[in-house]
Amino acid sequence: MSDRNQLVRDNFINAVNSNILPTSTIKLTPKDVGLSATDVIDLFETQVISRHLDLQSRIMQKKGQSFYTIGSSGHEGNAAYAKAFRPTDMSFLHYRSGAFMIQRSKQVPGQTPIYDMLLSFAASKDDPTSGGRHKVLGSKALNIPPQTSTIASHLPKAMGAAFSVPLAKRLALSDKLSKNMPEDSLIVCNFGDASSNHSTTQGALNATAWAAYQSIPMPIVYVCEDNGIGISTATPEGWIAANYKDRAGLSYLYCDGLNLLDTYQKAKQAEKIAREQGKPVFLHMRTVRILGHAGSDAEFVYREMKDIEATEFNDPLLHSARILLENNLLAKDDIINIYQEVEQRIAKVAQQVITKAKLENAEEVMASIKPPVLPESVSGQYHKLVNEEQRNALFTHEKHNLNKQQHCAKLLNWALMDLMAENENMVMCGEDIAKKGGVYNVTAKLSQRFGTNRVINTLLDEQSILGLAIGMAHNGFLPIPEIQFLAYAHNAEDQIRGEAATLPFFSNGQFSNAMVIRIAGLAYQKGFGGHFHNDNSFAVFRDIPGLIMACPSNGADAVAMMRTSVKLAREQQRLVIFLEPIALYMTKDLHDEGDGMWTSNYVTPAQDNVDSSIKISTFGEGKTLCIISYGNGYYLSRQAEKILAEQGIECRVIDLRWLAPLDERGIIEQALTCDNILIVDECRQTGSISEALVTLLAEAQTNSDEKMIKTKRITAKDSFIPLGAAAYSVLPSTQQIVDTATALVNKGSK
Amino acid sequence: MTTAHSTKNLTSNLTNKAKKRVVVICPGRGTYNKEELGYLQRLHSDKAELIQVIDNFRQQQGQLTISELDAKEQYSMRLHTAGENASALIYGCAIADFQAINKDKYDIVAITGNSMGWYIALAAAGALTPEAAIELINTMGSMMTDGIVGGQMIYPITDDNWLIDHEVVRNIERWLIEVNKKEGCAVYISINLGGYTVFGGNKMGLKALELLLPVVQDRYPMNLFNHAAFHTPLLNDTAIKAQSLLSTDLFNQPQIPLIDGLGKIWQPQSTDVKALYNYTLSTQVVTRYNFSKAIEVAVKEFAPDQLIILGPGSTLGGGVAQSLINQQWLDMSSKSDFIALQKQTPFILAMGLAEQRKLVL
Repeated sequence: MSDRNQLVRDNFINAVNSNILPTSTIKLTPKDVGLSATDVIDLFETQVISRHLDLQSRIMQKKGQSFYTIGSSGHEGNAAYAKAFRPTDMSFLHYRSGAFMIQRSKQVPGQTPIYDMLLSFAASKDDPTSGGRHKVLGSKALNIPPQTSTIASHLPKAMGAAFSVPLAKRLALSDKLSKNMPEDSLIVCNFGDASSNHSTTQGALNATAWAAYQSIPMPIVYVCEDNGIGISTATPEGWIAANYKDRAGLSYLYCDGLNLLDTYQKAKQAEKIAREQGKPVFLHMRTVRILGHAGSDAEFVYREMKDIEATEFNDPLLHSARILLENNLLAKDDIINIYQEVEQRIAKVAQQVITKAKLENAEEVMASIKPPVLPESVSGQYHKLVNEEQRNALFTHEKHNLNKQQHCAKLLNWALMDLMAENENMVMCGEDIAKKGGVYNVTAKLSQRFGTNRVINTLLDEQSILGLAIGMAHNGFLPIPEIQFLAYAHNAEDQIRGEAATLPFFSNGQFSNAMVIRIAGLAYQKGFGGHFHNDNSFAVFRDIPGLIMACPSNGADAVAMMRTSVKLAREQQRLVIFLEPIALYMTKDLHDEGDGMWTSNYVTPAQDNVDSSIKISTFGEGKTLCIISYGNGYYLSRQAEKILAEQGIECRVIDLRWLAPLDERGIIEQALTCDNILIVDECRQTGSISEALVTLLAEAQTNSDEKMIKTKRITAKDSFIPLGAAAYSVLPSTQQIVDTATALVNKGSK
Repeated sequence: MTTAHSTKNLTSNLTNKAKKRVVVICPGRGTYNKEELGYLQRLHSDKAELIQVIDNFRQQQGQLTISELDAKEQYSMRLHTAGENASALIYGCAIADFQAINKDKYDIVAITGNSMGWYIALAAAGALTPEAAIELINTMGSMMTDGIVGGQMIYPITDDNWLIDHEVVRNIERWLIEVNKKEGCAVYISINLGGYTVFGGNKMGLKALELLLPVVQDRYPMNLFNHAAFHTPLLNDTAIKAQSLLSTDLFNQPQIPLIDGLGKIWQPQSTDVKALYNYTLSTQVVTRYNFSKAIEVAVKEFAPDQLIILGPGSTLGGGVAQSLINQQWLDMSSKSDFIALQKQTPFILAMGLAEQRKLVL
C-alpha cells in the first residue's frame, strides 16, 4: 500500500481512537429519519467494506493482481440512498458506487458482494457480472445493468428506463414486464459533478425535464455526487446547485453525503416524489474524493497537501463514526474492531480471488458479444399472428392500394403496421414520426392505429431518442427508434457504440437491449440536398462488434429485411441498424419513366416465411462481370446492367443487402465465378465498405493458383455532399459504371 | 437499543495471526444415529454444566433428558429420531462439540447450519443463551408430537463426480409442477443440501413424486423417517404456533456472524434482533432452506482456512463438499479433487469423525 493509502487506512483508527472527529451542523438522530440503531450500524459496515475494497484493490494492483483502482472512497454515503430504494428499482451507477452495490446486495439474500467485486478487480472470468471483461458495477439479481461509462453516457438510457415504467402501465403490459421492473418502480442514476457538465448529462436531464414539464410521468432519481473535483479540475464553488436547483421540470434536493442520516432522509424524500408523484428528482449529494481519482493519480501534483489532508479528515467513515458515538450506538473499540475485521476478511477473500482463472483466448473474450438466443417461451410472449379481420381494420385506409405495386416508403410503412400489430411490446420513437408520419411518410397512420404511447414524437435530440430506446429495451420493450437523417446519428453515435452494443459484452450476456434503429440516409435526393440530408458515411457503425446493419435497396427487400431485423431483435436479442436509402423511398421506375420496375407488391405476413438469415441477393447470371453494390449504388448498377447487356457484356449484380456482418460466403461464391469484378460504392473512397470487399475478394483468391480476377471499384469522392446538382459530381453515376465496366471488360479481352 | 454494545475483545482474532479462520457448520436432523449412541458420554463428560441446562429444561417438560437418551443401551429409531428427542439430543452434542473447539487454534469467523442446525448456529453464535436455545429447540422439535405434518424425502442431484446434473434438476422442476397439479398433492423443495434435494410435502404429494423419480443407488428417493415438511408452506400453522409460544426476548445480538438458509449474513453489531426472530420462527420454517447457498456465502464472503462441521455424525460432510465443488472452491471440480485435498490438508474437519475431530480439539 502506498503511503497515502496507508495513511488514509490508519487515519480512521487514529481519529476514532483519539476521538478527534469531523463535526457537522446536522443534528439529526437515527430516529428522526426513521432508521434503527442496527440500520445505522449496518450502513456503516457497508461503508467500511467499500473502503477496504478500494484499499485492497490498490494492494492487489501493486502485485499485478488488480487492474482497476478507481474507487468509491469519500463517496460511501451512497450506501444510505441505496437503502432508501428497492432492489427492484433499476439503477445505473457510476464507478464510485461500491457502497451502493454492497448495501443493495443486503436487500437480496445470498449475494456475495465482497467476493464478486474482488473478482471484478482481478478481471477473473468468474466475475458474475462481466465474466472478467471489465471492472463494472453491475448485477442481474440486483437490477444494476453494468456501466463502464466515464462520460455520463448511461444517463440517456436511465431516462428511457424511467419513461418505460409508467409506459408499461399505460399499455397494460406491466404484468408481463414486471419481472424486469414492477409497476411502481423508479430508476436510480448517479454520476459525478464533473460528468454533470457533459453534453450527455445535459441532454438526458433536458429530455427528462422536457417530458416531466408536460406532465409525462418520469419516476427517476438522478443523484449527482459532488466531490468538487473532476480529476484535477475543480468544479466552481456552488456550480451544481446554481445550475440545477431551478430547472424546469426537475425537483432539486440537497443532502450531505458525508452524513448517512441526512442522505437517507433526503433520499426518502426523493423516493416519495419519484415513486408516488412520478416526478424526476435531482438529488445533489455533497461528497469528498479520497485517494485521488484512481490508483495512478498522484494528487499532490495538482492539489495542496493541506487540501488533501482536510479532505481526508472529512472522511465519510469518520462522520459515520461520530454519528455512531454521538448516538451511543457503538463504542470506539467496536467501531475499530469492525474496521479491522472487515479489512482482514477482505484480504483473505482476495487471496482466494487471485487464484481464479482469467479469460484466456479471443473466443472466451468474444463469447458474449452476441447475446444469447432466447427460448421461444420468452421471445414469443409478446408476439402473435394477426388475423385477417384485424388486418383489414388496420389497412382500411389503404384497401384500394393493397393489391397495387408500391414504392419502398409505402411498403415499409405497411410492414411496420403489421409488425406493430404482431408485437405488442414494439414501440416506435423519433422526431415527427407520429401524426406527421415522419419526414417521408414511412410512419404514416401508425400513431392513429397504435396510439401515441406506441408511436412517440420525441424532442429534437438523437442522443435522447437512442437513450429512450435503450432504456425501454432494458424493461423488455422492443423499440424501433428512428433517426431522421444519417448525419444526425453521428452526434449520438456513442449511445450505439459505447452503450447499446456493449451491454451484452460487459454483462456476459445477462443484459441486452435488442432493437431496430431505423435511419434514413445516404445521398442522391433529388431537389433536397446538402450534406446533412445526404450523408454518405456509415463507417462509424462498421466496426462495432455484434452489430447488424441492414440496407435494403428496394421495397420488397425493405419489407423482408425489416421483418428479419425485428425477428433477430425479438428472438436473438440483437441490435440492428436499418439504413433506409432516402432517395429510393419514392423511386418507382428503373430504366424508363413509368416502367414501375422499382415497385413491388406487398407480401403479407401470412405469405412471408421470415427467416433470420443474412444473405445477399443476385440479379442476372452473367459471367463476364460481377457488379457488387448496395443501396443507391445497386439501383444505378441495375440501370447500368441493361446498358451493358445491350453492349454484349453479361453481368450479374449483387445486392449486399446486409452491410454488417457481410455475407462473405455468398459474395465470394458469386463473384469468383466471374471474369471481372466491379464494386460500386456510393460512400467515400476512404472508409467505405468497398475497402472491405476488395480485401475480402483478394484474400479469398490468395491461395488460388489461378490468376487474380480483375477487380475495380467506383466510389464517391472523399468529399462532403454539396447542395444541388453539384452533389452528383462527387457521387457514382450510371454512366460511370457503364464506362468503367466497359473499360474493365475490354481491357481484359484485348 | 439505547446503550452501546459490549466491546469485543480486540485481541481475540486480530492479533494472533497463527490462528486459523474457520466457519463452523451446525448439523441438522438425522445426524444422531446408531453409531452416535453414547456420544455425550464418550466425548463430553467434562461438560456437565452445559448438558445440565438442557436436561433440566427437559425434566421440567416431563421429557427424557438427553443424558438418559444418550445413555440408552440400545438405539431406538422410534425414540431417538422422534423430533421431541432428536432435536435436543443433536443440539446437546453439537453445542458441546462447539465448546470443545480449540479457540487458541481457531478463530470462528462465521457460523451456519443446516435446517435445524440453524437453531444450533444461533446458540453457538450467542444469539440464544443456553437456556433460550433449549427452550426454542425443544419447542420446535416438539411441534410434531401430535402428529407429523407431511414428510421429507431426499434425492441426489449430482453425477458420480459430485457435479450437479442439470438435467436431473430440470426434470425435478418439471415433475414438481406435474405433481402439484394433481388434486390433494403439495410438494416443495425443502432443502438444497449440496448434492441432494430434500423435498417437503404432504404424504400424497411425496408418494406421487416418488413414483416419478427414477430409483438411483438402490436407495433414493428415500423418505426421511420422523421428519416433518419443514421449510415449506405446509408448516404455516407451525410457524404461527411457534411465534405464540416463543418470545422475542429469547433472542440476543449474535457475537459471531451468522449465515442463514437464504444466504443472508447477520453481523453481530447490525443484527436486528426482531428480524432475526422473524426469520427463525417464520421465514425459514415455511420457505426453502438453501444450505448450499449458505456454504457458498460462507466461503466466498469469509474465505475461511477451514470448515468445521460439528457432530454428531458426519453425514453433512458430503453436502458441504458438493456445495464447494459446485463453486469450484479451492479449484475442486470433482469428488476425487475433494478426496485428494482432504488427504493432503483437510479443508473440512468433521468433528463426528475421530481422526478429524482430534485436529479441532
